[in-house]
Amino acid sequence: MSTSAVQMLVAATTEFLCRHAPFDRMEPEALTFLVERLKLAYYPKDTQIVTPEMGVVTTFHILQRGKVLARQSGDLNVLDYSTMTLGPGEGFPIGSVTAQRASTNSYVALDDVFCYELAASDFLELMRQSSVFNLHCTQYIVSLLNQSRQQLQVQFAQRAAEQQTMNSPLTTIIKSVPISVSPESTIRKVIETMANGNIGSIVVVDNENRPIGIFTQSDVLKRIVLPGVSLEEPIFTVMSATPQTLPVSANAYDAALAMATYGVRHVLVVDEGDRLQGVISERDLFTLQRVGLRQIRQSIDGSADTDMLRQAASDVRQLALNMLAQGVGAEQLTQFISALNDTLTRRVVQLNLDRHDLGGIEWAWLSFGSEGRDEQTFSTDQDNGIVYLCPDGMAHEQTRMRLLDFARDVNSDLDKVGFPLCKGNIMASNPELCLTLEQWEQKFAAWVRTPEPMALLNGSIFFDFRTLFGKFSLAHGLRQTLFDLVRGNPLFLRMMAENALSVQPPLGKIRDFITDADPEHPGSIDLKKFGARLFIDAARIFALAQGVPNTNTVQRLKLAGVKMKVATHEVASIIEGFSFIQAMRLRHQHLEQERGRPGDNFVRPDQLNELERRILKESFRQARKLQQRLKLDYQV
Amino acid sequence: MRWIFSLLGDEVQREVPLNEAQRHAIAEWKKLPPPDTNQPHRLTRYVVADVEASGLDMEKDKLISIGAVAVVNGLIDFNDSFEVVLRQDEVSANSNILIHGIGGSAQRNGMDPAEALIAFLRFLGNSPLVAYHAFFEQAMIARAMDETLGIKFEPAWIDLDWVLPDIFREVIDEQVDLDVWLNFFSIENIQRHHAVSDAYAIAQLLQVAIARGAQRNALSPASFMQIEKSRRWMRSG
Repeated sequence: MSTSAVQMLVAATTEFLCRHAPFDRMEPEALTFLVERLKLAYYPKDTQIVTPEMGVVTTFHILQRGKVLARQSGDLNVLDYSTMTLGPGEGFPIGSVTAQRASTNSYVALDDVFCYELAASDFLELMRQSSVFNLHCTQYIVSLLNQSRQQLQVQFAQRAAEQQTMNSPLTTIIKSVPISVSPESTIRKVIETMANGNIGSIVVVDNENRPIGIFTQSDVLKRIVLPGVSLEEPIFTVMSATPQTLPVSANAYDAALAMATYGVRHVLVVDEGDRLQGVISERDLFTLQRVGLRQIRQSIDGSADTDMLRQAASDVRQLALNMLAQGVGAEQLTQFISALNDTLTRRVVQLNLDRHDLGGIEWAWLSFGSEGRDEQTFSTDQDNGIVYLCPDGMAHEQTRMRLLDFARDVNSDLDKVGFPLCKGNIMASNPELCLTLEQWEQKFAAWVRTPEPMALLNGSIFFDFRTLFGKFSLAHGLRQTLFDLVRGNPLFLRMMAENALSVQPPLGKIRDFITDADPEHPGSIDLKKFGARLFIDAARIFALAQGVPNTNTVQRLKLAGVKMKVATHEVASIIEGFSFIQAMRLRHQHLEQERGRPGDNFVRPDQLNELERRILKESFRQARKLQQRLKLDYQV
Repeated sequence: MRWIFSLLGDEVQREVPLNEAQRHAIAEWKKLPPPDTNQPHRLTRYVVADVEASGLDMEKDKLISIGAVAVVNGLIDFNDSFEVVLRQDEVSANSNILIHGIGGSAQRNGMDPAEALIAFLRFLGNSPLVAYHAFFEQAMIARAMDETLGIKFEPAWIDLDWVLPDIFREVIDEQVDLDVWLNFFSIENIQRHHAVSDAYAIAQLLQVAIARGAQRNALSPASFMQIEKSRRWMRSG
């Protein structure tokens, strides 16, 4: 033995391991302990590296190069698709080395494979020495998630920091080239420009581009409409002269101070020659500060029209981003977005109630789909309906017309606020979805009794209903009816299970992921269809079967899990898997929207980092566990 | 490949200045039985060796360092590895230093050549030696052993340069540069032209060869030697 040679080989191995979790964060002494005990082995393609027949596992393997296919064998063999591929940095078999028993999986080299190998006794010693490694082995998904959460925080903290600090120079806040006009432009032309560009203020500049005045939206009413000024007058007669200006070197705090001191909402940014560089509005500064939940709620509750609510809706998004940056989990985040969207919707409903007389009618505003489940992401359209009781002595048709008129206005206002109209017309203004309790019950009964494909699809949307406004007891009655129906028609859940199992987690046999399911989005995975929905569908079936009234997927899994006597840590792992996929969707949608694209759910695994890919893989494995349970429970 | 020894004269042993401990260590090494090359791979301890020298002239250039990695039971154990830099009275040329990266002071501060070679003998024991383009390693080490320790060094060598194209002839059926095989098996070389790093990379090639050999009924060091011998004979004819 010669130390310099050992050092060189150990250093090279350490360097490799440090590129992978959990070794990258392992205690240095533990890492040294590990590396000094590793040996390198080679397995040609198709070699069985570990099989149940080999008996008690004596060696732990860490893949260095190549891929290994892990396949469940033994009693669970009916589940023929329970395989997964391991890549460099991944260790196996964790469970059986820890428990000092034979492996339940077989591990086969998919191509030529080099593995670091550690004797089982050294593995156990390493578990004792290293809490990081111990956590990794005992709570695989939890340990990976902890790491990824930290990564996510770092990634977003920087963006948030850029956006949040009041020390930011104004040059970083200026969003676009300011719109300016000459003093001689007519008022008509100025207002047209503002309306077309949807801008709140316009700067009046001289021929050297030096600002001499500002004209804002609120001036239209006070200075033009009310005094009856002709639209053909030049703008300089009505503008606010000598606007507040700040040099480009000023920061956000200076701007806030100027606004507070002079009671203005806009500050102009000028260069050394006093030429216009940009406009900073109160709104721009508002988003710099950490927008608090309370402020947003207050501003929603105090909003008198859809314009103000639309602003509040965009604040919701900003706040959600800040929360994402602070490492708030997907579960809390989606619930939070839903809660604020609920508040927004309630406010829209409330504002419309002032214009519509629904006196004497018992009714409730229902939300369906993701909103019904409290699982909204950034890209969300409307899914709503109305349930009502037809009052005695009131003509049914007339009641229905009143409710539909009302619903149309609410739907249209919600659209203005930022919840696009539903393409599938799942909206309260659709006469099919503005129904009496009895009609809803008949609808549900028809779906449950005749579970044809359309009925199953409807079930997956409408059975996740939740009351947002109005008489909550109506929905409660509807839920009880639904449970009774499901209990009386066992075929329904079986068909739902079959339907749920028709989509499988996109885990590849050779590659990590199947990314060619959608020919229009090659290389990507639809994390809604092939991710979140797998969990949502299974949770719905378990909830209906166990009489769990909740609509939220996490709640359903927790509560149904207790009734089904599933171990708490197993439920926790499943929920972590679901939450991770939701978090990926949120992040992806946010980044897409930031680039001005509609937020879809197509995530490219090759653009994720290695840790994220592994968690995603593990999350899909959790989805598969859920599906296996469905398979066993419903024998499909 | 025996020409180099015949040049030196068959039974002539050089008189070299060695101390008592050194003579003893050499005597102990000489007592070792030759390796049983018919043992299966998994019972064999192979020593994969690579050398750096002051140039490519096997008669004039000096041996500067030896790196070696053992493969036991098909596994590479980092603790069973070896490196030594031989002290040089005359530092090799700059152009040469640029290749192996062993600088002038490292060469001057190397180990006493006799001690270094004895250390290598201890590490080697009676294991069969493996190298790539083995004649260079073979010649450089043998000459140093002769000049410094006054012994004839003729252990069993296996040259992967000849073995690999035979058992992987569907891939490459000729003698090629080491990097070609490393690329083919995507084996990373930590630091090319560093004796230990090269030996480590070649040791991984040996692992590949052992696994392939097991499928081709080449189950022992002797079978590798046989493959090499017959291939050399075929090619020379």
